[in-house]
Amino acid sequence: MKTKMLTCLTLLLACGFGLFVFADSHEKEEDMNKLVFSKEKYKTMAVKSGGKISGVVKFDGEVPEMKKLEITKDKAVCGVTDKFDEALVVGEGNVLKNTIVYLMDISQGKDFDKEAKPELDQKNCRFNPHVQIIPVGTALTVLNNDKATHNVHIFGTSKNNTSVNKQQTKNRKKMRLTGAKGAEGPVEVKCDIHGWMKAWVAYVPHPYFAVTNEKGEFTLEDVPPGEYKLGYWHEACGTNNKEPVTVTVAAGGEVKQDFTLKLKEAK
Amino acid sequence: MRSKNVVYLILILGLLSVLNLTYAQDAPEVSEKGKEVYEESCAHCHGTEGRGDGSAAENLLPKPRDFTRGLYKIRSTESGQLPTDQDLFDIITEGMPGSSMPGWETSLSANDRWEVVAYIKTFYDGFKESETPPRQISLEGKIPYSEESVEIGKGLYTQFACFECHGQVGRGDGTSAPTLQDEWGFQSWPANLAQGWNFRGGNDIDDIYKRFIGGIAGSAMPMFEDPAFGLTIEQSIRYNELDNKVEMTEAEEEEYNQLDEKMGNAFEILDLMAEGSANEEQKQSYATAMKAFYEKSWHLANYVKSLSSEKRPEPAIGKNVLRSQYTESDLPQMMDAAWNTLDSSYFPLVGQIIIEPRQFNPTIDSVNAKSFYNDTEVAFLFTWDDRTNNTEVEENEDTGKTFEDAIAIQFPVKIPKGPTAEKPYFLWGGRKAVYLWQWKASAVDKITELTAKGINNAEEQEVQGNIEAKGEYTDGQYRLWVKRTLKTDDKKDLQLEPGVFVPIAFSAWDGANGDVGTKRVISSWYSFVLEPVPSSRRFIYPPLVALLSFGLLVGLREFVRQRNT
Amino acid sequence: MKRVSLFTICFAIFIACWVFLRFVIGSVISVPIPSSVISMYMGLVLIAILVHVSVEDSRFREFIRPIHETLVDENRKNRRIILAVLIPLLLLGYTYTNIAQKANPAGDPRVAHPVPPSEFKLTYKDKVIGTMQEVENPHRHLEKDKPEEFKSHVENGRRVYYDNCFYCHGDHLDGQGHFAHGLIPLPANFQDPGIIPNFQEAFFFWRISKGGPGLPPAGTPWNSAMPVWEEVLTEDEIWDVILFLSQYTGHSYRTFGEGH
Repeated sequence: MKTKMLTCLTLLLACGFGLFVFADSHEKEEDMNKLVFSKEKYKTMAVKSGGKISGVVKFDGEVPEMKKLEITKDKAVCGVTDKFDEALVVGEGNVLKNTIVYLMDISQGKDFDKEAKPELDQKNCRFNPHVQIIPVGTALTVLNNDKATHNVHIFGTSKNNTSVNKQQTKNRKKMRLTGAKGAEGPVEVKCDIHGWMKAWVAYVPHPYFAVTNEKGEFTLEDVPPGEYKLGYWHEACGTNNKEPVTVTVAAGGEVKQDFTLKLKEAK
Repeated sequence: MRSKNVVYLILILGLLSVLNLTYAQDAPEVSEKGKEVYEESCAHCHGTEGRGDGSAAENLLPKPRDFTRGLYKIRSTESGQLPTDQDLFDIITEGMPGSSMPGWETSLSANDRWEVVAYIKTFYDGFKESETPPRQISLEGKIPYSEESVEIGKGLYTQFACFECHGQVGRGDGTSAPTLQDEWGFQSWPANLAQGWNFRGGNDIDDIYKRFIGGIAGSAMPMFEDPAFGLTIEQSIRYNELDNKVEMTEAEEEEYNQLDEKMGNAFEILDLMAEGSANEEQKQSYATAMKAFYEKSWHLANYVKSLSSEKRPEPAIGKNVLRSQYTESDLPQMMDAAWNTLDSSYFPLVGQIIIEPRQFNPTIDSVNAKSFYNDTEVAFLFTWDDRTNNTEVEENEDTGKTFEDAIAIQFPVKIPKGPTAEKPYFLWGGRKAVYLWQWKASAVDKITELTAKGINNAEEQEVQGNIEAKGEYTDGQYRLWVKRTLKTDDKKDLQLEPGVFVPIAFSAWDGANGDVGTKRVISSWYSFVLEPVPSSRRFIYPPLVALLSFGLLVGLREFVRQRNT
Repeated sequence: MKRVSLFTICFAIFIACWVFLRFVIGSVISVPIPSSVISMYMGLVLIAILVHVSVEDSRFREFIRPIHETLVDENRKNRRIILAVLIPLLLLGYTYTNIAQKANPAGDPRVAHPVPPSEFKLTYKDKVIGTMQEVENPHRHLEKDKPEEFKSHVENGRRVYYDNCFYCHGDHLDGQGHFAHGLIPLPANFQDPGIIPNFQEAFFFWRISKGGPGLPPAGTPWNSAMPVWEEVLTEDEIWDVILFLSQYTGHSYRTFGEGH
């Protein structure tokens, strides 16, 4: 009896040790540069008399001249247009393009626009758009409008299983990359063959995301009334994960919230 | 009795859950042994938390693997899949050639290696989250190695766009090579396919095939997809032919469009398959297309295999020393076919890590040399692989770090007499001076004679003469031809005579790798000899000896006979 | 049954000796015996045989009888002709290959672990530490006195080793680092039981701090790629890495007092 118990105990102890290794969580520095999502699983519901959040994102600081990218190969295809480093695109009046603005803590609201088909175009060896959001589980359609071979390299992250790196020759005009399993991002997209080609995609669990346009504008519509944390992400300016802005949306109301971003401090 | 057991069980479980809660906040101690072995043997490079940031990692490239991302380069599994445990075990056992990862077979028991596998898997949650085992690459339908297969593979090499990174003949010199980075942002050079001994995952045909199908996760090497998916080998060759035509006849155009459509359909089915929404008929045609793709991949693997020797060549020591071949006529020029009649001598190069600034991550593997001489002159042909042709003399701020490529061939000024005699210090001399030929990629027809008494103490000779050079860069390889008279009037020059073994050593610089000054690759002292003309004595003495011995035998017989009578 | 002649026996013994020296011993000690040594031994064997057969007149006659017969006996004509052709031919082949053979460079005469001169003083840069005989690893006593502190010194030695040494001396300390294939002479193999147990820690300190250029001429300092580590490492770091070498390999350094 005693020996039986002992064996039992040892076995269970072993299992226990096994379990608590998994309980260990790695908090990472890089997570500070990622989007924040509610821990609860997002629930869709019909939103009646939802509110609207809009605003303009501006850049604060000396605007550096956009760096022209050196086209090192396939000049006949890639060299027909000038290309610039799009990490920081500032328009007239210091407005900032390509900023993701989103609700951090929303856990229920409207459904995704089922018709939307996220696309990443490769033309003249440039990715377009530079920043986009993709609903979790939705495929990304990648177009090759070039007479050149590209490879679409979507970087892996610690949470999403490994990376995607697929070659797309000129023969393949269109390819769908099946969606990521979990929400995460933004992650870098690169064409290794044309080292200057770079874009960002964010896999998101809910539709309350916007990317600022050339005028720095964003709009989040049909927001169920309530109080939310409003977050942003920008390639060169980072996030406000540490101090998100709280906004209160009234039924049918409109909230204006502008942001002014500064360059991330170089490490 | 039984109910009692159940009660105990519940009690123990309860106890455990409490234990778990308290322990969960502490460092994990699951496989104590695995952790111990990892920290003893792996952590100095891979870091105690498995992020590839151990104290030795700073100077290494390729960087030690970051285990927290679940990205493993060398796998037997399909693209996007985690490696199998066996994959991890194999890498630990065999190491990764061409990198600083050694095999651990001799220093860790199999049991310890398995413990380490279990431990490094804890760094990435994906291992425990994945419900199904990773899909392994099937090696079915392997096409045996043959000249025909290599020939087909050679055609596919271009079609599959391998040259973009690996270069036209595979020396890792593709136009994309200089800008490649891995997902951590570190420089990632494409493999030089002519140096198979440096392939990280081995150079068996199966290994090469797995890299195509599975990709090299985290690096720029994508998962390969058939660029002419849905077409047979013949059809894809035909498609390429038509595609490259400036003008097509109507019939050709129709043929082209048909193939194009077939391909488009196949690609569409490929996407449907990935999404899991293909119907039976589509599944059927997918299977046919994949079969052709695997066939093509085997041909390609056979071609890549054909580009390199299995093992690193034997270095130029002992019987392999560099022997300059005597010729009565004029010495061959750089591109003459006469060079093909000689075997190369192989001189391995390693990073210079003795004097600061050092080169810890060399990109030039070796120099090969051949030589001819006649009564007055000697000519050398040096070749070495370098992925980039850098000719800028100064560091260029805009384009990043590029210096110019260069090489220096080193001899002593005075040949030491006898094996015990002092040589100059192998690193550009010291107390005793060395005599150098320095060639730079910015001036291909110029070679400079230097005298050096230390790596930082070299000067150009005032008298430059009796020496000619010609250099060229093609397809990832430098070819340098040097000719000099055997004797010179300059006391600072090396004087050559047949039959004398002369110490020789090399320094080389790859500008794209930041090589400049002492940051370079170097070799130890080797030797070379002007191989004496096979003496004509070899036709005189042996018959003489034979005759003499015959005569002696006859004489002996006569002597014995005389004595008997 | 025909008796085997004395000559045949002697000849067989001679051949057997050669086979034994050339192949059997070579495979036992796994290094072939140099041909000069073999020739010397074979010379001795020949002399021994000649002495043996010439002790008695009858035995000598018995020994040369077959030679005699072959030379003159009418019944042995065939054998005579074959030998008269074969011997000159063999000699012809032998001299030809000897003359036509390509010369190889002489081997490296290097002494692998040369001892320093007797009046030698151990130094770090210009600071004199003491004589080889008296200097001990200043951290060695911690092994007994303060095991925890000793452990941290070993750990520091491990860091120093993997930051600096493993490129050549290897992850396993076996001299097979990823740069080793390009170096002549090869980097030292600390796993070799003939190295650590044969030298004191002070000897290692000397070899590490002064590197290749600090070797006496017998060690061919001009060939060694071992850096002068006192230019990079502190005195403590060198002593720590010395601790690590023995800790990792399980070999103990030679100490004074034991058999000298």
